[in-house]
Amino acid sequence: MLGISRREMLASVSCGFGYLAMSALCGKHSFAAGASGIANLSARSPQLPARAKRVIFLCMSGGPAQLDTFDYKPQTAKKKHPGSVFNFAQHGQSGLWISELLPETAKHADKLCVLNGMHADITNHAQSFLQLHTGDRLRPRPSLGSWVVYGLGTENQNVPGFISIYPSKPSVYSSALLPPVYEGTPIGLNTTNMSTATINNIKSDHVPVAVKRRQLDFVQAMNREHATRRPDDVRLDAVIQSMELGFRMQMTAPELLDLGQETKSTLERYRVGQGKVVGTCKDSDFGRQCLLARRFAEAGVRFIEVNHGSWDQHKNHRADLTANCESTDAPIAALLEDLEQRGLLEETLVVWGGEFGRPGLVPEDKKDSTGHNARGFTFWMAGGGIKGGLAYGKTDETGARAVEGKVHFRDLHATILHQLGLQHDKLTFQQGNREFRLTGTEGGKVVKDIIA
Amino acid sequence: MRKRITLISVACWFLAISFYAVEPVWSAKKPAGKPDQTKMDPRQRVFFENKIRPVLVKKCYSCHSSEAEELGGKLRMDTRDGMREGGESGPAFVEGRPNESLLIQALRYDGLEMPPDEPLPESVINDFVTWVKMGVPDPRAEQPLTAMKPIEKTAAANPELWSFQPISDPVIPVVKNAGWCFDRLDQFTLARMESAELTPTHDASPVRLVRRLYFDLIGLPPSAEQVESFLADYQCRQQTAVAALVDELLASPHFGERWGRHWLDVARYGESNGNDGLGRNPTFPQAWRYRDYVIQAFNNDVPYDRFLTEQIAGDLLPAASPEEQDRTLVATGFLAIGSKPAKAMNVNFDMDVVDDQINVVSTAVMGLSVACARCHDHKHDPIPTADYYAMAGIFLSTETLWGFAANQPLTAPETPLHVLKSKHHYVPPPDSGAQPNVDQRTLARKKKPKNVYPPGTALAMGVREKKKPVDCKINIKGESKKLGPSVPRGFLSACNVPQTPRIDAKQSGRLQLAEWLTSAEHPQTSRVMVNRVWLHLFGQALVRTPDDFGVYGEPPTHPQLLDHLATRFRTEGWSIKQLIRSIVLSRTYQLSSFCDEQLLEADPENKLLCRHNRRRLDAESLRDSILAASGQLNREPGLGSSIANVDEMVNKAGNLHLPHQHRSIYLCLLRHSEPPELSAFDLPDSTKPVGKRNETTLPTQSLFLINSDFLIEQGQLFAKDILSNPKQDDAERVHLVYQRALNRAPESSELERALALLQDVDTALKTEISQTELRRVTVWATLCQALLNTNEFRYVD
Repeated sequence: MLGISRREMLASVSCGFGYLAMSALCGKHSFAAGASGIANLSARSPQLPARAKRVIFLCMSGGPAQLDTFDYKPQTAKKKHPGSVFNFAQHGQSGLWISELLPETAKHADKLCVLNGMHADITNHAQSFLQLHTGDRLRPRPSLGSWVVYGLGTENQNVPGFISIYPSKPSVYSSALLPPVYEGTPIGLNTTNMSTATINNIKSDHVPVAVKRRQLDFVQAMNREHATRRPDDVRLDAVIQSMELGFRMQMTAPELLDLGQETKSTLERYRVGQGKVVGTCKDSDFGRQCLLARRFAEAGVRFIEVNHGSWDQHKNHRADLTANCESTDAPIAALLEDLEQRGLLEETLVVWGGEFGRPGLVPEDKKDSTGHNARGFTFWMAGGGIKGGLAYGKTDETGARAVEGKVHFRDLHATILHQLGLQHDKLTFQQGNREFRLTGTEGGKVVKDIIA
Repeated sequence: MRKRITLISVACWFLAISFYAVEPVWSAKKPAGKPDQTKMDPRQRVFFENKIRPVLVKKCYSCHSSEAEELGGKLRMDTRDGMREGGESGPAFVEGRPNESLLIQALRYDGLEMPPDEPLPESVINDFVTWVKMGVPDPRAEQPLTAMKPIEKTAAANPELWSFQPISDPVIPVVKNAGWCFDRLDQFTLARMESAELTPTHDASPVRLVRRLYFDLIGLPPSAEQVESFLADYQCRQQTAVAALVDELLASPHFGERWGRHWLDVARYGESNGNDGLGRNPTFPQAWRYRDYVIQAFNNDVPYDRFLTEQIAGDLLPAASPEEQDRTLVATGFLAIGSKPAKAMNVNFDMDVVDDQINVVSTAVMGLSVACARCHDHKHDPIPTADYYAMAGIFLSTETLWGFAANQPLTAPETPLHVLKSKHHYVPPPDSGAQPNVDQRTLARKKKPKNVYPPGTALAMGVREKKKPVDCKINIKGESKKLGPSVPRGFLSACNVPQTPRIDAKQSGRLQLAEWLTSAEHPQTSRVMVNRVWLHLFGQALVRTPDDFGVYGEPPTHPQLLDHLATRFRTEGWSIKQLIRSIVLSRTYQLSSFCDEQLLEADPENKLLCRHNRRRLDAESLRDSILAASGQLNREPGLGSSIANVDEMVNKAGNLHLPHQHRSIYLCLLRHSEPPELSAFDLPDSTKPVGKRNETTLPTQSLFLINSDFLIEQGQLFAKDILSNPKQDDAERVHLVYQRALNRAPESSELERALALLQDVDTALKTEISQTELRRVTVWATLCQALLNTNEFRYVD
């Protein structure tokens, strides 16, 4: 719940970002001065020189098995120990080890920075998933995407600045205590059929657009008169603006969501409509999701989250993991390929990972189930000023725990913000007497070694 | 300063959780000479907090605390005792003798080298020297390592927290302009205004007041006739007319539908479990009975203390009739409708259910988040972990009945339900409601429920006593597998309630919990509720964080007024209707939301209540108002729920919503799958109590207004109704549209503008819709929908 009224927040827009940026530049300790955080989406310069303009977060929920995807653990001792059960090979000039389950992604090995030293605090899905998204595992806090849009605004005023495709629950795209304009717009939720999921009410053919425009003009004329008589209430102006954005969205968003203009080969490369349903692997038309992500990135959406699940292989580890990889491998490869080809990869930070990882299996052992492991797992990043072809960090010989190049979610957050030109310790929001930030009171460390 | 506080709080956090992290050193072996925190020299304390603790947290804890992956040298520095007892090399210090203290030697890189990366700055080392010279004063032992109830200590830890102080009955302030006041409460607000040298704005005009009263009390707009009749009455009788209208509205069955919904927000009401973390979301086919119970309770003005008691311990109350027994059984649904995380691989499941119950009771009733104390002593509020487990024992001794849970044992094991005995319950016919679309595989796997009830049995969610009540053991760090000592069942130790009810060994203690919460001396219960009522009448509460009366909540803007109202509420029989009546008949409530610029500048946030706050209609009122304007609203209560016969997973069953024209409160409130007519406008997510909803302004809301089937359909029906009288001309019809949507006639310029819109749209649609009659409806629907989309329609002055 917001402790400050919308009125207070909007009232502060008058002094706006300029003032805030100033205060940041002048070395004031906070990005957002006082309760008067800004509440508008206009694009603004980052606090520091930025390497990336936007983020695509490929969120693999459930805890992807790192030892069978990116963290190669061959048998090293006489006695069999847990490790990788699928084959690995080295790829690209960098010779990055990648599992046989991801042949398409492997073609982009030199773009990837694989973080094998990830670690987190908790092995429960819900809490760790929330912490991955908001930095806090218990309470409602702003999502990473909300923080980013809060810091940078958005480039295209005709579409939302933060879009979450197939999110599992509102708490992971919530602006929470940040002003509500930073809330993520979900496309598809829970039960939605992802091959048709859209922004609710984005389209209606009940009357031609010209009539809708005429009708909206009438409404806005009344709204303006109403607001003029109530000059103190800036919420009313916010509604007027938001009606216009909604109207513009119905012109631009359906086109963005419509894959009809994509060529057949593109649709095939992304495997649109070819989702798999095997065990835990859900058909979420991941190809369509990735293609939408590319289109949103092109349109200037600041933060795009793409969800896939579930990577939670408590049973049938081998079969289900294979299905998850198959569903996501080609779409992700196509996305990386397209971003690069369009010159967008340099300015788009792509992040892949889930709320934790899994322990390894012993090859040739009959056991085919894996639990959760938060002490060591893998993320990867690509583009956005991150070094490609790099494996950073290490787990021990069984992959059970990170031992080198350890990166916590807080560090991951700090690093993502850093690439966008935002300082995690200065991107703050004040509520009452408390100052909030994504990396919390503990703070995070920017992983400098992976920055190109 | 802020940074410092942050650091300290981090330290506290580390510390607090650390106590429960190692093999417990519970109070049994309490070391001697433990300094009493209350006796600690405040200057020494400041020194420790500023100079010592931050360094310990930053530089030492990573290896020398419970958080450390491997405890360095077996030395713990996150507890006073840990440092005193020392590690492999011996105690860390000799009190008063820095040169002989290992700690200082290590910091000086003399023999030992700590911290290992680089030595600390000389000044910091000197601080530690000073600290050891002082005798190593360390407040970190204030949290007892014991499950003993630390009454004095916690109260002392937060002596100044206002919400734990007894509720006073303040003297009514004297005001200069006594003639302005209608009610005693006005003297509290006016006194504050006068001392700030402000004068209240003018009274709301009767036409605005009547609209405000209708929305605030029953959540519906007045009809044109109702407005007219009030205005006429007001002309003759002024405040008597207002009082008459208020009494009429309070007596309306729609009152409970409005105020019941407010309570349902706080009761985190939902008709399905919500995502259990594994994507599964089973329906709660009987939850609607609790909804109806709440509506009825508000309509019958069940005294608030009784209302709470019914919800917490209704199954234990004596009942004069089977009807009464059933009613109080249904009331306990309050504790059963919570959202649960999946049972699968979750050893903490039972405690998760308990946690939800503690959370809803403590937040809804006391405005406190006790739930933090599950894993550690509350960081800031005086709520130690022991208190949490004292309450947990009560709920652990309670059996929660949620039913079949869509036959998803991985989500929740099946439980029985309350069987209602009286014959008058509505039981939705078996073929009514939504038809779930479940795939064959799921159907084939379906196991028969263990608890089978004959068709037509009226069932309810709720709670009952477990056969063997138990005390709860402290779950170290919130983990059910790491158990500490058990805590006798009880309540919050920091609330000074004399004659705390005793919990019998044979009872869970719920009845006593209710008794404790509703006792006259309870410092929060009445304050919290009065504040909630104020919030819904003013749009802003006296304590602006209605669910947080703790350290991080905001203090009341009018503490005396809050206490005055709380005392009145309690002494006037805990009557919610009476409380509302007093407030809306006050001058303060009846102020206009318009004011001059001076006032606005002097008090932009309206903390002094010199004017009323303009409010946006919430999701339910917006839909209800649209239906009222279009003439489609069915004012009868909706019966049952569209999922009353659906025991399935929402995520698999397809669309379970069925449109109807009853008021919004009767729509099916599935968690994480809200009714599409409401979901755009900030519904609470209903997994935790929400006293004050968000008010977002999003483009998706605009899209709902512009494009949703609901608005389009209602616009059409509205238009058809307007066109049904062939004798009227267009101007008269425009008049009617304005009256029905906005409770007023159009000004002449507005009339022209509306006619122009009709003309333009008609022209634009000529080719589109050639049939004149059909086109006419669409043309008028464009105007009708437009008025429903305006801010004037959606905001109340």
